[in-house]
Amino acid sequence: MIVCSRCSKENQDHYKFCLGCGAELPRGPSASEPEALLASSAGGERTTDAPSAMGGASSALASASKLEVDPIAVAPARAEPVAVADPLPPELAPLTDQTSPCSHCGAQVPENFRFCHVCGHDLHAEGPLGSGAEVPEERVSAPAVNNAPEAVTERARLILIQPDGSEGESFPLAAGRTLIGRSTGGIFASDAYLSPEHAEFRFEGDQLVVKDMESLNGVYIRIDPEVPIELFDGSVFRVGQEILRFEAPVAPDPAPDGTQHAGSPHRGFVGRISLVIGRTATGNSYPIPPHGIHLGRERGDVLFPEDGYVSGLHCRIHSEVGHVFLTDVGSSNGTFVRVSNESFVPQGTFVLMGQQLFRAEY
Amino acid sequence: MEQARNYVCTECASAVPSGHKFCGACGGPVPAEAQTLETQFFGALQMPGKARLIVVRGDEAMGEGLSYLLQATEHVAGREADQIPFPSDNWLSPTHANFLYRGEKLVVRDEGSLNGVYIRVRGTSPIRIGDHFMCGQQLFRIDATPKDSSGPEPDQTYFYSSPRRPSAFRVTQILDGGMDGIVCCALEQTVEIGREDCDINFPDDVYMSPRHAKVEMSGEALKLIDENSQNGTYVRIRGERELGHGDYLFLGRNLLRVEVTA
Repeated sequence: MIVCSRCSKENQDHYKFCLGCGAELPRGPSASEPEALLASSAGGERTTDAPSAMGGASSALASASKLEVDPIAVAPARAEPVAVADPLPPELAPLTDQTSPCSHCGAQVPENFRFCHVCGHDLHAEGPLGSGAEVPEERVSAPAVNNAPEAVTERARLILIQPDGSEGESFPLAAGRTLIGRSTGGIFASDAYLSPEHAEFRFEGDQLVVKDMESLNGVYIRIDPEVPIELFDGSVFRVGQEILRFEAPVAPDPAPDGTQHAGSPHRGFVGRISLVIGRTATGNSYPIPPHGIHLGRERGDVLFPEDGYVSGLHCRIHSEVGHVFLTDVGSSNGTFVRVSNESFVPQGTFVLMGQQLFRAEY
Repeated sequence: MEQARNYVCTECASAVPSGHKFCGACGGPVPAEAQTLETQFFGALQMPGKARLIVVRGDEAMGEGLSYLLQATEHVAGREADQIPFPSDNWLSPTHANFLYRGEKLVVRDEGSLNGVYIRVRGTSPIRIGDHFMCGQQLFRIDATPKDSSGPEPDQTYFYSSPRRPSAFRVTQILDGGMDGIVCCALEQTVEIGREDCDINFPDDVYMSPRHAKVEMSGEALKLIDENSQNGTYVRIRGERELGHGDYLFLGRNLLRVEVTA
């Protein structure tokens, strides 16, 4: 039993976050194990377990490649998912028209690629001589993102995870407060899914904390595999490209004359999940029976056959003693939960903001 | 030896032809029952144009196989109705529906009930956004696809949604108690419902056929198509609906069959 120091709720020993308030719980001696999992899953970002997922990998979960694309053009392009059956190899996916010749074989390589798709040459490994112009511009300008221009005492870094899974530039987080958003410039300026003031990072003791500055699209944190996270009415989470909202069951009152609302027979539901397709609009919904449901691309009760970023079996939702939990079951790309107001960001956590995926290191 | 072919006067034993009120031989009166020689129906059941309702599946209190003769002009059904009562079915409003004759025709009118009156679809029925229908034990509503602007916020931030596909309409399951259950947006132009391999599947519903029914958009119009299901597809009536011999109706949990003698 672990008693939360913040809200005094009693949590089971294996819980990493408090069921009551979401605060990170102090860890026992076995604490290194989940971190090892997380570290290994960083490599997993490169692929999902779906062969077909590779077809979409270039318009990645964190589509850092769209940095220079006009926001207006980004929005409609984003609306259509990349079909899994798309026969185009990833290097031909219509991400960017801008290409530059590979210094090794001369092939025209889209600028967002780290490796040449013809000869496999590592384009980043090239020295500044002869290839400086080929390095995408945003990488050159990236250090300007540091929004505390004076010499800061860097306590943490957000490391950009690029669409191909490799690590990109990193952004320092000062000991004080660091605001991130479209108004803070650099790589963030061109992300049309970031609010002007999107999120704020700060330290509380040794812990990094992120606060959602009432942004439109929120801040998502990757949950550890096999660690249940409680869902509340209105909780939003993301698997692959899909944004899902959990809703507690709400039944209308019976009519004043005692007539009950007719409907399909059932043995009770603990809530339902709805696909978020707009500010106020939801698409398909599925009720969650007490014994729970699994979500996956190919296996489970709720399937996403067209989303190559969803693993074959991705996560599950179940209820225990009146509470509803979301558990990632070892997906390749992870299950992300939207931060409600603010959250601790443990070392190594993946954070999703706008179109970008980062890893917090400190 | 043979039988007398007419009524025989009880006073004088003379034969009295039918239609006579008095005996022509002795003037004795002929009783009234002997005068009415028009053939009568065994029961009102056989009165032409009159209908009856047979409870095919009813609630436990009333039992199954009950039938109601619709001899009056109006017949009210409901949880607290006198004529066609279903006292133990709380899906029925106190006054739920009225079976009445309009000229020669029997019609059923929804009396503003909470849960409505459903009639079995013969083949295909036109259907509209907002309509309700039933397949097996499942109840559904047809909704429009919500409109949501794809433009940015005033601060030029775009909303990040799940990938969207164009959808003309959606089908929402309604759970016992009135909650919404499964929501299925139409891909292309149809939503198919059945026990397996459809867009919405109910493997546990033993009253559902493997492929039971589908809702289809053709042009601007929606159609509800029963795919020769074993137990039928039922659509909620709006206002009133003419009934014919062999129609099936759901009132709450009660399944009724209409019999009309032509």
